[in-house]
Amino acid sequence: MAIRTTTPGNEKADRPEVRPDVRLETAPMVPVSCESCGITVEARKSSWEQTSIQWHGDLDGCLERRAAPPPTIAGTAFRGCTALRNTLSHAVDRGALPVLTESE
Amino acid sequence: MTTVPDVPRRIETDPVAERYARGWHCLGLSDDYRDGSPHQVTAFGTKLVVWADADGEIHVLDAYCRHMGGDLTQGTVKDGNIACPFHDWRWGGDGRCKQIPYSRRVPLRARTSSWPTLDQDGMLFVWNDPEGNPPIEEQAIPRIPGATSDEWTDWHWYSIRIDGSNCREIVDNVVDMAHFFYVHYSMPTYFKNVFEGHVATQYMNGAERADVAIPSEDGAELLEIRSTASYFGPSFMIDDLVYEFDTGDFESILINCHYPIDTNSFVLQYGIIVKKPQGVSDEHAAASAKTMGDFIKTGFEQDVEIWQNKARIDNPLLCEEDGPVYQLRRWYQQFYTDVADVQAEMTDRFEFELDMTRPAEAWSREVADNVARRDEAAGAH
Repeated sequence: MAIRTTTPGNEKADRPEVRPDVRLETAPMVPVSCESCGITVEARKSSWEQTSIQWHGDLDGCLERRAAPPPTIAGTAFRGCTALRNTLSHAVDRGALPVLTESE
Repeated sequence: MTTVPDVPRRIETDPVAERYARGWHCLGLSDDYRDGSPHQVTAFGTKLVVWADADGEIHVLDAYCRHMGGDLTQGTVKDGNIACPFHDWRWGGDGRCKQIPYSRRVPLRARTSSWPTLDQDGMLFVWNDPEGNPPIEEQAIPRIPGATSDEWTDWHWYSIRIDGSNCREIVDNVVDMAHFFYVHYSMPTYFKNVFEGHVATQYMNGAERADVAIPSEDGAELLEIRSTASYFGPSFMIDDLVYEFDTGDFESILINCHYPIDTNSFVLQYGIIVKKPQGVSDEHAAASAKTMGDFIKTGFEQDVEIWQNKARIDNPLLCEEDGPVYQLRRWYQQFYTDVADVQAEMTDRFEFELDMTRPAEAWSREVADNVARRDEAAGAH
Protein backbone atom coordinates (compact mmCIF):
# COMPACT_ATOMS: atom_id res chain seq x y z
CA MET A 1 0.00 0.00 0.00
CA ALA A 2 1.47 3.32 -1.01
CA ILE A 3 1.96 6.17 1.39
CA ARG A 4 0.61 9.40 0.03
CA THR A 5 2.58 12.58 0.10
CA THR A 6 0.96 15.77 1.29
CA THR A 7 -1.31 17.45 -1.24
CA PRO A 8 -2.48 21.06 -1.21
CA GLY A 9 -5.47 21.58 1.06
CA ASN A 10 -4.31 18.80 3.31
CA GLU A 11 -1.72 20.77 5.23
CA LYS A 12 -1.53 20.99 8.96
CA ALA A 13 -4.05 23.41 10.47
CA ASP A 14 -4.14 25.21 13.79
CA ARG A 15 -6.06 23.17 16.29
CA PRO A 16 -9.46 24.82 16.82
CA GLU A 17 -10.67 24.89 20.37
CA VAL A 18 -13.07 22.21 21.54
CA ARG A 19 -15.91 24.03 23.25
CA PRO A 20 -17.62 22.77 26.40
CA ASP A 21 -21.37 22.02 26.41
CA VAL A 22 -23.23 25.26 27.22
CA ARG A 23 -25.56 23.30 29.48
CA LEU A 24 -22.69 22.56 31.86
CA GLU A 25 -22.27 26.26 32.71
CA THR A 26 -25.11 26.17 35.22
CA ALA A 27 -25.12 22.44 36.01
CA PRO A 28 -21.70 20.80 35.72
CA MET A 29 -20.93 17.09 35.72
CA VAL A 30 -20.21 15.50 39.10
CA PRO A 31 -17.59 12.82 39.86
CA VAL A 32 -19.00 9.49 41.04
CA SER A 33 -17.11 6.28 41.81
CA CYS A 34 -18.68 2.96 40.87
CA GLU A 35 -19.69 0.83 43.88
CA SER A 36 -18.74 -2.28 41.95
CA CYS A 37 -15.33 -1.56 40.40
CA GLY A 38 -14.30 1.82 41.81
CA ILE A 39 -13.87 3.52 38.44
CA THR A 40 -14.56 7.24 38.71
CA VAL A 41 -16.70 8.84 36.04
CA GLU A 42 -18.36 12.23 35.72
CA ALA A 43 -22.13 12.13 35.62
CA ARG A 44 -25.01 14.52 35.15
CA LYS A 45 -28.73 13.90 35.40
CA SER A 46 -31.16 16.25 33.70
CA SER A 47 -34.00 14.12 34.99
CA TRP A 48 -34.52 10.64 36.41
CA GLU A 49 -34.53 9.28 32.88
CA GLN A 50 -31.76 11.42 31.39
CA THR A 51 -28.12 10.76 32.18
CA SER A 52 -24.74 11.80 30.77
CA ILE A 53 -21.67 9.78 31.72
CA GLN A 54 -18.10 10.76 30.91
CA TRP A 55 -15.62 7.92 31.29
CA HIS A 56 -11.86 8.40 31.40
CA GLY A 57 -9.10 6.29 29.91
CA ASP A 58 -9.44 2.60 29.25
CA LEU A 59 -12.43 0.75 30.65
CA ASP A 60 -10.72 -2.53 31.48
CA GLY A 61 -11.52 -2.05 35.16
CA CYS A 62 -15.26 -2.25 34.44
CA LEU A 63 -16.38 -5.84 34.97
CA GLU A 64 -19.49 -5.57 32.78
CA ARG A 65 -17.46 -4.00 30.02
CA ARG A 66 -15.02 -6.91 30.10
CA ALA A 67 -17.92 -9.38 29.91
CA ALA A 68 -19.67 -7.53 27.08
CA PRO A 69 -19.97 -9.24 23.70
CA PRO A 70 -17.78 -7.93 20.87
CA PRO A 71 -19.01 -4.95 18.83
CA THR A 72 -21.52 -5.62 16.07
CA ILE A 73 -21.39 -4.09 12.60
CA ALA A 74 -23.57 -1.28 13.94
CA GLY A 75 -21.30 -0.39 16.85
CA THR A 76 -20.56 -1.24 20.43
CA ALA A 77 -22.65 -3.92 22.11
CA PHE A 78 -21.86 -2.35 25.50
CA ARG A 79 -24.64 0.18 25.90
CA GLY A 80 -23.77 0.92 29.49
CA CYS A 81 -22.94 -0.57 32.87
CA THR A 82 -25.82 -1.59 35.17
CA ALA A 83 -23.62 -1.46 38.29
CA LEU A 84 -22.71 2.13 37.41
CA ARG A 85 -26.35 2.93 36.75
CA ASN A 86 -27.25 1.64 40.23
CA THR A 87 -24.37 3.62 41.72
CA LEU A 88 -25.76 6.79 40.13
CA SER A 89 -29.22 6.09 41.57
CA HIS A 90 -27.72 5.69 45.02
CA ALA A 91 -25.73 8.90 44.56
CA VAL A 92 -28.99 10.69 43.76
CA ASP A 93 -30.61 9.21 46.88
CA ARG A 94 -27.68 10.44 49.00
CA GLY A 95 -27.91 13.89 47.45
CA ALA A 96 -24.44 13.53 45.94
CA LEU A 97 -25.76 13.73 42.35
CA PRO A 98 -28.39 16.37 41.63
CA VAL A 99 -31.33 15.72 39.32
CA LEU A 100 -32.02 19.00 37.51
CA THR A 101 -35.78 18.57 37.15
CA GLU A 102 -36.02 17.95 40.92
CA SER A 103 -34.43 21.29 41.72
CA GLU A 104 -36.80 23.36 39.61
CA MET B 1 -29.93 32.88 41.80
CA THR B 2 -27.55 34.20 39.19
CA THR B 3 -28.76 36.99 36.98
CA VAL B 4 -28.39 36.54 33.25
CA PRO B 5 -27.84 39.71 31.22
CA ASP B 6 -30.78 40.20 28.88
CA VAL B 7 -28.89 40.72 25.61
CA PRO B 8 -29.30 38.92 22.28
CA ARG B 9 -27.17 35.81 22.01
CA ARG B 10 -24.59 35.99 19.23
CA ILE B 11 -23.95 33.15 16.82
CA GLU B 12 -20.25 32.34 16.91
CA THR B 13 -18.42 30.79 13.98
CA ASP B 14 -14.89 29.47 14.25
CA PRO B 15 -12.81 29.40 11.07
CA VAL B 16 -13.42 26.19 9.10
CA ALA B 17 -10.28 24.05 9.21
CA GLU B 18 -8.54 24.03 5.82
CA ARG B 19 -7.94 20.34 6.14
CA TYR B 20 -9.80 17.11 5.49
CA ALA B 21 -10.62 14.40 7.96
CA ARG B 22 -8.30 11.47 8.52
CA GLY B 23 -10.03 8.19 7.82
CA TRP B 24 -11.78 5.93 5.36
CA HIS B 25 -14.16 7.67 2.95
CA CYS B 26 -16.51 5.75 0.69
CA LEU B 27 -16.50 6.87 -2.97
CA GLY B 28 -19.53 4.79 -3.95
CA LEU B 29 -20.13 1.34 -5.39
CA SER B 30 -16.91 -0.22 -6.64
CA ASP B 31 -18.54 -1.77 -9.73
CA ASP B 32 -19.21 1.74 -11.04
CA TYR B 33 -15.43 2.22 -11.32
CA ARG B 34 -14.73 -1.11 -13.00
CA ASP B 35 -15.57 -0.32 -16.64
CA GLY B 36 -11.94 -0.01 -17.73
CA SER B 37 -12.09 3.79 -18.04
CA PRO B 38 -10.60 6.44 -15.77
CA HIS B 39 -13.09 8.21 -13.49
CA GLN B 40 -12.89 11.67 -12.05
CA VAL B 41 -13.71 12.31 -8.40
CA THR B 42 -13.29 15.74 -6.85
CA ALA B 43 -12.56 15.21 -3.20
CA PHE B 44 -10.35 16.53 -0.39
CA GLY B 45 -9.94 19.82 -2.23
CA THR B 46 -8.33 18.18 -5.23
CA LYS B 47 -9.13 16.04 -8.26
CA LEU B 48 -8.63 12.28 -8.15
CA VAL B 49 -8.41 9.72 -10.92
CA VAL B 50 -9.95 6.33 -10.16
CA TRP B 51 -9.54 3.29 -12.39
CA ALA B 52 -9.51 -0.49 -12.29
CA ASP B 53 -6.73 -2.65 -13.73
CA ALA B 54 -7.32 -5.87 -15.66
CA ASP B 55 -7.66 -7.82 -12.40
CA GLY B 56 -10.43 -5.47 -11.29
CA GLU B 57 -8.24 -3.90 -8.61
CA ILE B 58 -9.13 -0.23 -8.16
CA HIS B 59 -6.51 2.49 -7.83
CA VAL B 60 -6.75 6.15 -6.83
CA LEU B 61 -4.17 8.83 -7.68
CA ASP B 62 -4.05 12.60 -7.72
CA ALA B 63 -5.43 13.47 -11.17
CA TYR B 64 -2.69 15.83 -12.29
CA CYS B 65 0.33 14.31 -14.02
CA ARG B 66 3.58 15.32 -12.33
CA HIS B 67 5.23 15.74 -15.75
CA MET B 68 3.44 18.74 -17.25
CA GLY B 69 0.20 18.73 -15.27
CA GLY B 70 -1.99 16.78 -17.70
CA ASP B 71 -5.37 15.59 -16.44
CA LEU B 72 -5.16 11.82 -15.98
CA THR B 73 -8.95 11.52 -15.78
CA GLN B 74 -8.93 12.37 -19.52
CA GLY B 75 -6.38 9.62 -20.17
CA THR B 76 -6.70 5.90 -20.81
CA VAL B 77 -5.94 2.70 -18.96
CA LYS B 78 -2.97 0.93 -20.59
CA ASP B 79 -1.58 -2.34 -19.17
CA GLY B 80 -3.27 -1.61 -15.85
CA ASN B 81 -1.61 1.80 -15.53
CA ILE B 82 -3.17 5.19 -16.16
CA ALA B 83 -1.72 6.90 -19.23
CA CYS B 84 -1.67 10.70 -19.42
CA PRO B 85 -3.46 12.15 -22.47
CA PHE B 86 -0.74 14.81 -22.82
CA HIS B 87 2.50 12.79 -23.29
CA ASP B 88 1.46 9.19 -22.49
CA TRP B 89 3.36 8.96 -19.20
CA ARG B 90 2.20 5.78 -17.47
CA TRP B 91 1.39 5.89 -13.75
CA GLY B 92 0.86 2.80 -11.62
CA GLY B 93 -1.62 2.41 -8.79
CA ASP B 94 1.28 2.72 -6.31
CA GLY B 95 1.82 6.28 -7.49
CA ARG B 96 5.08 5.55 -9.36
CA CYS B 97 5.73 6.37 -12.99
CA LYS B 98 6.16 2.99 -14.69
CA GLN B 99 7.05 4.00 -18.21
CA ILE B 100 7.55 6.91 -20.59
CA PRO B 101 7.26 5.33 -24.04
CA TYR B 102 9.38 7.98 -25.77
CA SER B 103 12.14 8.00 -23.14
CA ARG B 104 14.93 5.55 -22.34
CA ARG B 105 14.22 5.82 -18.63
CA VAL B 106 11.94 7.28 -16.00
CA PRO B 107 13.41 10.19 -13.99
CA LEU B 108 14.21 9.79 -10.31
CA ARG B 109 11.47 10.66 -7.81
CA ALA B 110 8.75 10.16 -10.43
CA ARG B 111 6.10 9.56 -7.86
CA THR B 112 2.67 11.14 -7.38
CA SER B 113 0.09 11.08 -4.59
CA SER B 114 -1.74 7.81 -4.24
CA TRP B 115 -4.64 7.05 -1.93
CA PRO B 116 -4.79 3.69 -0.15
CA THR B 117 -7.98 1.93 -1.27
CA LEU B 118 -10.31 -0.65 0.20
CA ASP B 119 -12.76 -2.53 -1.98
CA GLN B 120 -15.16 -4.19 0.42
CA ASP B 121 -18.78 -5.35 0.38
CA GLY B 122 -19.35 -3.73 -2.99
CA MET B 123 -18.08 -0.31 -1.91
CA LEU B 124 -14.88 1.58 -2.73
CA PHE B 125 -13.10 3.40 0.08
CA VAL B 126 -10.08 5.69 0.13
CA TRP B 127 -8.00 6.51 3.17
CA ASN B 128 -7.33 10.21 3.56
CA ASP B 129 -4.60 11.36 5.91
CA PRO B 130 -3.09 14.85 5.82
CA GLU B 131 -0.03 13.38 7.56
CA GLY B 132 0.37 10.79 4.80
CA ASN B 133 0.44 7.75 7.07
CA PRO B 134 -0.99 4.34 6.14
CA PRO B 135 -4.50 3.37 7.32
CA ILE B 136 -4.93 2.83 11.06
CA GLU B 137 -5.69 -0.86 11.51
CA GLU B 138 -8.14 -0.37 14.41
CA GLN B 139 -10.19 1.96 12.22
CA ALA B 140 -10.95 -0.65 9.56
CA ILE B 141 -14.50 -0.55 8.21
CA PRO B 142 -16.49 -3.53 9.60
CA ARG B 143 -17.64 -6.19 7.15
CA ILE B 144 -21.37 -6.22 6.38
CA PRO B 145 -22.40 -9.89 6.04
CA GLY B 146 -25.70 -9.05 4.29
CA ALA B 147 -23.89 -7.22 1.48
CA THR B 148 -22.46 -10.45 0.08
CA SER B 149 -25.36 -12.74 0.98
CA ASP B 150 -28.00 -14.09 -1.41
CA GLU B 151 -30.50 -13.65 1.38
CA TRP B 152 -30.18 -9.89 1.01
CA THR B 153 -30.80 -7.56 -1.93
CA ASP B 154 -28.05 -5.73 -3.80
CA TRP B 155 -27.22 -2.13 -2.83
CA HIS B 156 -29.71 0.49 -3.81
CA TRP B 157 -27.44 3.53 -3.91
CA TYR B 158 -28.05 7.29 -3.91
CA SER B 159 -25.63 10.16 -4.32
CA ILE B 160 -26.27 13.90 -3.93
CA ARG B 161 -23.82 16.78 -4.30
CA ILE B 162 -24.32 19.41 -1.62
CA ASP B 163 -22.92 22.89 -2.19
CA GLY B 164 -22.60 25.66 0.36
CA SER B 165 -22.22 23.36 3.38
CA ASN B 166 -19.39 21.82 5.33
CA CYS B 167 -19.80 18.09 5.93
CA ARG B 168 -19.94 18.63 9.71
CA GLU B 169 -23.64 19.41 9.21
CA ILE B 170 -24.48 15.81 8.32
CA VAL B 171 -22.38 14.42 11.17
CA ASP B 172 -24.36 16.58 13.64
CA ASN B 173 -27.40 14.44 12.81
CA VAL B 174 -25.99 11.66 15.01
CA VAL B 175 -27.03 13.55 18.12
CA ASP B 176 -29.90 15.64 16.80
CA MET B 177 -32.83 13.73 18.25
CA ALA B 178 -35.52 16.36 17.67
CA HIS B 179 -34.82 16.86 13.96
CA PHE B 180 -35.80 13.24 13.33
CA PHE B 181 -39.37 14.24 14.13
CA TYR B 182 -39.38 17.55 12.28
CA VAL B 183 -37.27 16.66 9.23
CA HIS B 184 -37.39 12.88 8.84
CA TYR B 185 -41.02 12.22 9.85
CA SER B 186 -39.95 9.87 12.61
CA MET B 187 -41.43 9.57 16.08
CA PRO B 188 -38.44 8.84 18.32
CA THR B 189 -39.35 6.98 21.51
CA TYR B 190 -35.86 6.12 22.74
CA PHE B 191 -32.56 7.87 22.11
CA LYS B 192 -29.04 7.25 23.33
CA ASN B 193 -25.57 8.16 22.11
CA VAL B 194 -22.27 6.49 22.92
CA PHE B 195 -18.96 7.85 21.65
CA GLU B 196 -15.83 5.82 22.13
CA GLY B 197 -12.56 5.77 20.23
CA HIS B 198 -13.25 6.40 16.55
CA VAL B 199 -16.88 5.19 16.77
CA ALA B 200 -19.94 7.35 17.45
CA THR B 201 -23.16 5.42 17.98
CA GLN B 202 -26.80 6.40 18.02
CA TYR B 203 -29.43 4.05 19.42
CA MET B 204 -32.89 5.16 18.43
CA ASN B 205 -36.28 3.51 18.57
CA GLY B 206 -39.29 5.01 16.93
CA ALA B 207 -42.98 4.50 16.45
CA GLU B 208 -45.33 4.97 13.53
CA ARG B 209 -46.74 8.43 12.95
CA ALA B 210 -50.44 8.44 12.13
CA ASP B 211 -49.94 11.62 10.08
CA VAL B 212 -47.17 10.18 7.86
CA ALA B 213 -47.41 7.20 5.55
CA ILE B 214 -44.39 5.01 6.25
CA PRO B 215 -43.98 2.30 3.59
CA SER B 216 -45.47 -0.91 4.92
CA GLU B 217 -45.81 -4.44 3.66
CA ASP B 218 -49.37 -5.09 2.51
CA GLY B 219 -51.11 -3.15 5.25
CA ALA B 220 -49.18 -4.79 8.07
CA GLU B 221 -49.15 -2.85 11.32
CA LEU B 222 -45.83 -1.21 12.20
CA LEU B 223 -45.07 -1.81 15.86
CA GLU B 224 -41.61 -0.33 16.27
CA ILE B 225 -38.59 0.93 14.36
CA ARG B 226 -35.26 0.01 15.95
CA SER B 227 -32.09 1.63 14.73
CA THR B 228 -28.48 1.21 15.85
CA ALA B 229 -26.25 3.43 13.79
CA SER B 230 -22.54 4.13 14.09
CA TYR B 231 -20.01 6.30 12.37
CA PHE B 232 -16.83 4.31 11.96
CA GLY B 233 -14.45 7.22 11.61
CA PRO B 234 -15.41 10.64 10.26
CA SER B 235 -17.65 9.78 7.35
CA PHE B 236 -19.01 6.24 7.11
CA MET B 237 -22.09 5.21 9.05
CA ILE B 238 -23.66 1.76 9.19
CA ASP B 239 -27.26 1.73 10.40
CA ASP B 240 -28.77 -1.59 11.45
CA LEU B 241 -32.40 -0.69 10.89
CA VAL B 242 -35.28 -3.00 11.74
CA TYR B 243 -38.96 -2.29 11.06
CA GLU B 244 -40.98 -4.54 13.33
CA PHE B 245 -44.40 -5.31 11.83
CA ASP B 246 -47.08 -7.47 13.41
CA THR B 247 -46.32 -9.90 10.59
CA GLY B 248 -42.58 -10.03 11.33
CA ASP B 249 -39.35 -8.05 11.16
CA PHE B 250 -38.24 -6.16 8.07
CA GLU B 251 -34.45 -6.01 8.33
CA SER B 252 -32.29 -3.53 6.50
CA ILE B 253 -28.81 -2.05 6.52
CA LEU B 254 -28.61 1.61 5.67
CA ILE B 255 -25.29 3.24 4.79
CA ASN B 256 -25.01 6.97 5.32
CA CYS B 257 -21.67 8.30 4.12
CA HIS B 258 -20.03 11.30 2.52
CA TYR B 259 -16.78 12.67 1.23
CA PRO B 260 -15.74 16.32 1.17
CA ILE B 261 -15.33 17.98 -2.23
CA ASP B 262 -13.81 20.98 -0.49
CA THR B 263 -14.46 22.65 2.86
CA ASN B 264 -17.75 24.11 1.60
CA SER B 265 -19.27 21.23 -0.34
CA PHE B 266 -19.54 17.49 -0.08
CA VAL B 267 -21.08 14.45 -1.71
CA LEU B 268 -23.68 12.73 0.44
CA GLN B 269 -24.34 9.10 -0.38
CA TYR B 270 -26.61 6.51 1.09
CA GLY B 271 -27.23 2.93 0.23
CA ILE B 272 -29.64 0.33 1.39
CA ILE B 273 -29.91 -3.44 1.37
CA VAL B 274 -32.83 -5.35 2.81
CA LYS B 275 -33.12 -8.94 3.91
CA LYS B 276 -35.41 -10.72 1.48
CA PRO B 277 -38.52 -11.71 3.37
CA GLN B 278 -39.40 -15.42 3.24
CA GLY B 279 -41.56 -16.42 0.31
CA VAL B 280 -41.06 -13.12 -1.49
CA SER B 281 -39.57 -12.84 -4.96
CA ASP B 282 -36.20 -11.12 -5.50
CA GLU B 283 -37.95 -8.46 -7.58
CA HIS B 284 -40.40 -7.73 -4.78
CA ALA B 285 -37.56 -7.51 -2.23
CA ALA B 286 -35.60 -5.15 -4.50
CA ALA B 287 -38.72 -3.03 -4.89
CA SER B 288 -39.04 -2.87 -1.08
CA ALA B 289 -35.45 -1.63 -0.82
CA LYS B 290 -36.19 1.03 -3.42
CA THR B 291 -39.42 2.13 -1.72
CA MET B 292 -37.63 2.43 1.59
CA GLY B 293 -34.66 4.19 -0.01
CA ASP B 294 -36.93 6.70 -1.70
CA PHE B 295 -38.67 7.39 1.61
CA ILE B 296 -35.30 8.01 3.27
CA LYS B 297 -34.29 10.16 0.28
CA THR B 298 -37.17 12.54 0.97
CA GLY B 299 -35.87 13.02 4.49
CA PHE B 300 -32.31 13.69 3.30
CA GLU B 301 -33.59 16.20 0.75
CA GLN B 302 -35.21 18.10 3.60
CA ASP B 303 -31.90 17.99 5.47
CA VAL B 304 -30.22 19.51 2.42
CA GLU B 305 -32.80 22.29 2.30
CA ILE B 306 -31.99 23.11 5.94
CA TRP B 307 -28.20 22.95 5.48
CA GLN B 308 -28.14 25.17 2.42
CA ASN B 309 -29.97 27.94 4.25
CA LYS B 310 -28.68 27.63 7.81
CA ALA B 311 -25.76 29.37 9.54
CA ARG B 312 -22.73 27.49 10.69
CA ILE B 313 -22.88 27.73 14.47
CA ASP B 314 -20.15 26.82 16.93
CA ASN B 315 -22.00 27.91 20.08
CA PRO B 316 -25.42 26.27 19.68
CA LEU B 317 -27.88 27.14 22.42
CA LEU B 318 -29.24 23.82 23.69
CA CYS B 319 -32.18 22.75 25.81
CA GLU B 320 -31.99 19.66 28.02
CA GLU B 321 -33.93 17.57 25.48
CA ASP B 322 -31.26 18.16 22.82
CA GLY B 323 -28.55 15.60 22.20
CA PRO B 324 -24.84 16.02 23.00
CA VAL B 325 -23.85 18.31 20.11
CA TYR B 326 -20.72 19.66 21.81
CA GLN B 327 -19.47 16.23 22.85
CA LEU B 328 -20.06 14.89 19.33
CA ARG B 329 -18.04 17.72 17.83
CA ARG B 330 -15.29 17.05 20.37
CA TRP B 331 -15.27 13.41 19.17
CA TYR B 332 -15.30 14.55 15.51
CA GLN B 333 -12.34 16.86 16.12
CA GLN B 334 -10.00 13.86 16.51
CA PHE B 335 -10.13 13.34 12.74
CA TYR B 336 -8.95 16.90 12.08
CA THR B 337 -6.07 16.62 14.54
CA ASP B 338 -2.62 15.12 13.93
CA VAL B 339 -2.47 11.68 15.56
CA ALA B 340 0.12 12.89 18.07
CA ASP B 341 -2.15 15.76 19.15
CA VAL B 342 -5.38 13.78 19.65
CA GLN B 343 -6.58 14.49 23.21
CA ALA B 344 -7.98 11.79 25.50
CA GLU B 345 -11.23 13.76 25.83
CA MET B 346 -11.85 13.32 22.08
CA THR B 347 -11.80 9.51 22.29
CA ASP B 348 -12.82 8.76 25.91
CA ARG B 349 -16.16 7.02 26.20
CA PHE B 350 -19.15 9.33 26.62
CA GLU B 351 -22.76 8.20 27.09
CA PHE B 352 -25.89 10.29 26.82
CA GLU B 353 -29.37 8.91 27.29
CA LEU B 354 -32.25 11.25 26.58
CA ASP B 355 -35.44 11.52 28.61
CA MET B 356 -38.15 11.17 25.95
CA THR B 357 -41.12 11.95 28.23
CA ARG B 358 -41.64 15.55 27.21
CA PRO B 359 -40.91 15.13 23.46
CA ALA B 360 -43.31 12.16 23.35
CA GLU B 361 -46.09 14.22 24.96
CA ALA B 362 -45.59 17.19 22.65
CA TRP B 363 -45.31 15.13 19.48
CA SER B 364 -48.26 12.87 20.23
CA ARG B 365 -50.38 16.01 20.54
CA GLU B 366 -48.97 17.44 17.31
CA VAL B 367 -49.59 14.24 15.36
CA ALA B 368 -53.16 14.03 16.72
CA ASP B 369 -53.73 17.63 15.64
CA ASN B 370 -52.36 16.90 12.16
CA VAL B 371 -54.63 13.89 11.79
CA ALA B 372 -57.67 15.87 12.97
CA ARG B 373 -56.86 18.66 10.51
CA ARG B 374 -56.42 16.18 7.68
CA ASP B 375 -59.71 14.45 8.47
CA GLU B 376 -61.45 17.81 8.66
CA ALA B 377 -60.03 18.83 5.28
CA ALA B 378 -61.08 15.48 3.79
CA GLY B 379 -64.58 15.93 5.21
CA ALA B 380 -64.89 19.41 3.70
CA HIS B 381 -64.49 18.10 0.15
